[in-house]
Amino acid sequence: MTSLLDEVSDREILFAGGKGGVGKTTTAAALALRLAGAASDETGAETGDETGAGGERVLLVSTDPAHSLGDLFGVEIGGEETRLAERLWGLELDPEAETERYLRDVKRTMREFVRPEMYDEIDRQMEMTRRSPGAVEAATLDRMSEVLVEGREAYDRLIFDTAPTGHTLRLLSLPEVMTAWMDGLLESRDRSESFGEILKGTDWEGGDELAYIDRPEKEGRDDRASRIREVLTRRRRKFARARRLLTDPERCGFLVVVNPDELSVREGEDIRDTLDRLEMPLLAVVVNRVLPEEADGEFLGRRRREEARHLERIAEVFSDVPRVRVPLLATDVRGVDELEDVASWLAGDLPPKRRTT
Amino acid sequence: MGWRDDLEELAEKLREFYVAPYRGAAARAKRDEDDLFMLLVFSQMMGVPNPASYYTLELLPVLYDRFHEWHTRMGMEESPLDHFRCC
Repeated sequence: MTSLLDEVSDREILFAGGKGGVGKTTTAAALALRLAGAASDETGAETGDETGAGGERVLLVSTDPAHSLGDLFGVEIGGEETRLAERLWGLELDPEAETERYLRDVKRTMREFVRPEMYDEIDRQMEMTRRSPGAVEAATLDRMSEVLVEGREAYDRLIFDTAPTGHTLRLLSLPEVMTAWMDGLLESRDRSESFGEILKGTDWEGGDELAYIDRPEKEGRDDRASRIREVLTRRRRKFARARRLLTDPERCGFLVVVNPDELSVREGEDIRDTLDRLEMPLLAVVVNRVLPEEADGEFLGRRRREEARHLERIAEVFSDVPRVRVPLLATDVRGVDELEDVASWLAGDLPPKRRTT
Repeated sequence: MGWRDDLEELAEKLREFYVAPYRGAAARAKRDEDDLFMLLVFSQMMGVPNPASYYTLELLPVLYDRFHEWHTRMGMEESPLDHFRCC
């Protein structure tokens, strides 16, 4: 039996993705819980068996604006790292709050540079940016890059519970685009500065015809140039780091979650294609909500025949990818106990309590 | 005035003669490059999609008066952007 634990064993950064509502959060959380070894601590304590203790330190990050991670654990999470279980922490990225903070910073520096009459103008400008397409995405990427770099130091493993597909895949390719963009801007600065050097070599003192350079930048011309460079370099470094991590197939991997239905399988295929393009390894496919064997009745029998078709298709599409099945459960998955059940299906061992009930 | 001063004056004039054209060219090249840079940063506001506009927003403060200088030099008395006025 395939165990998801084996497939993800050496990847320190994992992403769980798939169509909305297929169980990405549940899968990510159950896996995180198992890797953290939170439950085995308890059973270890009960039976006096210490071998299960000492899992990894895991950070579970939700990038989906419609956060459900906190609901799953019955905890308020939000923008700060919050403890969910033994050795397991959760974080819900809040792009709106990030955007807010960023715009506030920009506004503050802006006010140092312009006359007070312009303040209203600036506020208007900031308001436009907040609503411009891509702002939420940009803020998410910004924060995600930080979490990637900082999280690696503080945790053994990062698991990203991602938003529905299109958004996530774009997010993963953004660092590349952004690094290139920053490079372009920095090159422009390089050229400008080298012309500046030539100018200095000509003992130029700001003659009439070319007063434009002298006038608006009389004070702190070098200051301004170095400030621009500093901003660009900081941005570039951040994106480059995130990109290096995301494109390292030894460290990163993706888990696709599908249900045995037409639409989520199609979306799974799309993800697969994009991952190929991004050269990010697809580690495993989790087929969630498969009708359990014990489900009976004529209705479910028909449903099962339908499902068999989709399962075949999944086997075909993902023939070279390890597949793990999780059955449709009789009760909602909510809280650590139920998650531990799901984790047992993922890991391929028997659910501790509920399997027989 | 001694011959030394004469020589120095001559040297200064020669320098001026040879260096001046390059000075102008270099200054213009720098100006064009700075304009381009500023337009890249402002591109989203001018209707050119810029994937990095959110991130370069923090450059606006330092480019603010440069933008003003640019549009006056280009013969536009007021900011050409409805939603971005600097004067």
